[in-house]
Amino acid sequence: MIITVEGLHKSFGKLEVLKGIDCEVAEGEVLCVIGPSGSGKSTFLRCLNFLESFREGQVTISGHNLTGAKTNLNAVRRDVGMVFQSFNVFPHMKVIDNIMLAPMKVGKVSRVDAHARGMVLLEKVGLTSKADVYPSTLSGGQMQRVAIARALAMEPTVMLFDEPTSALDPETVGDVLDVMKKLAEEGMTMVVVTHEMGFAREVADRVLFMDAGVIVEEGTPAQIFESPQHVRTQTFLSKLL
Amino acid sequence: MTLYFGDILPYLPVMLKALWVSIYVTLISFAAGGVLGIFIYLAKASRFKALQLFSNGYIEVIRNTPLLVQLYLIYFGLGSIGINFNPLWSVLIGMTLNNSAYTAEIFRAGISAVPKGLREAGTALGMPFHQTFRYVILKPGIRNVLPALTNQFIVLFLFSSIGSVIALDELTSTLQNLNSQTLRTLEIFSVGALLYFLTSAAIAFGSRITERLAFRW
Ligand SMILES: Nc1ncnc2c1ncn2[C@@H]1O[C@H](COP(=O)(O)OP(=O)(O)OP(=O)(O)O)[C@@H](O)[C@H]1O
Ligand SMILES: [Mg+2]
Repeated sequence: MIITVEGLHKSFGKLEVLKGIDCEVAEGEVLCVIGPSGSGKSTFLRCLNFLESFREGQVTISGHNLTGAKTNLNAVRRDVGMVFQSFNVFPHMKVIDNIMLAPMKVGKVSRVDAHARGMVLLEKVGLTSKADVYPSTLSGGQMQRVAIARALAMEPTVMLFDEPTSALDPETVGDVLDVMKKLAEEGMTMVVVTHEMGFAREVADRVLFMDAGVIVEEGTPAQIFESPQHVRTQTFLSKLL
Repeated sequence: MTLYFGDILPYLPVMLKALWVSIYVTLISFAAGGVLGIFIYLAKASRFKALQLFSNGYIEVIRNTPLLVQLYLIYFGLGSIGINFNPLWSVLIGMTLNNSAYTAEIFRAGISAVPKGLREAGTALGMPFHQTFRYVILKPGIRNVLPALTNQFIVLFLFSSIGSVIALDELTSTLQNLNSQTLRTLEIFSVGALLYFLTSAAIAFGSRITERLAFRW
């Protein structure tokens, strides 16, 4: 298992947001996390690279135990890519520099190698021609693809996506989903929080339905979308149609 | 009574020399106060309660007392207990301390206006905080603070006129001297005001050019 989560609890002050999450992700698996707003999906995802700290529970990811005494969190994060709903591309850097920054500063890759790798990644996300422009000239979908390329530049073993298409104009959603599909086909391990049920149905190996801080139900896309067992899952899915 | 600038024309070099005193007093206290302001800001943003308390107190006291009173405290107050600074040093110290409190607040506002997501993206890439700060937060932060810093520089420059109350030979006190020599009161002070105005306008213009050249994103 490349990710193992056991008894994960997380509170913000008095508000308990995650109430005991247990879950495993196998290498090469694509796990989609769905659920109503405020159910704790983002918090769960952010706990996986300790962007959100937690006191109770165990997370092992890509061979690192997050709460281990000797764990170097920066080393963990190098192995775990993350893509945010709001892209968070660095506005003051050209597209290619966005992608080269972490490999050069963290990975100690030479400028030449980082540039070469960056261009390969830009080709992969279909943005070769945008290498030397600033992000402010890009559409949301293009920015998100830059963000994906930037995360991939660290050659992570796992990719985390938090509603990567929720902030996009409908016409640019497809390009981003295509890039993600391609990644999945190449065997990348992915955890994707999403409202794109079409994507989950088509690409996920497994779908996990969260509500009020617990995993209510999980199964193959067919199980979850065709014959959900729990009332809460049924209610959630029926509202989407 | 008619305006007549002919009498004061010969004094223009004296005025320009005094203007230069005003400018360099401002430059020095802006730079020194800026550096001090960074430390005050870091103390305020730190995790240590004592440092936070100290910098908050410092900022509040300085921002809620008149610069003139601060200057009197340094020049006359400290002088009365045997700690003597000459007018130039008193003005430099007063303006530096005063500026540091304002710039600390400007830095705080500018850095906290950098979207949290950018910092998170840096962290998620595995960059330690100092790298995230340097490569991700700093430039957008500087862009955020530049207009406010320019404004602060101009305010400080205009405040440097308080040097006149302790006879520092900056522009305002020179204007007062020339006024008593020539009795061309309206002419002297309107030319003086024009010099302040032109200098401030040039600073604002320079800042806008810098902004355009330095931040092309
Ligand atoms: N930093 C925070 N401080 C306090 N409360 C928070 C914080 N982050 C999230 N929460 C709260 O935790 C709960 C779960 O939030 P979370 O963002 O994980 O939900 P979500 O399932 O991702 O929702 P959405 O679909 O709207 O993104 C919410 O009630 C939210 O208000
Ligand atoms: Mg969310």
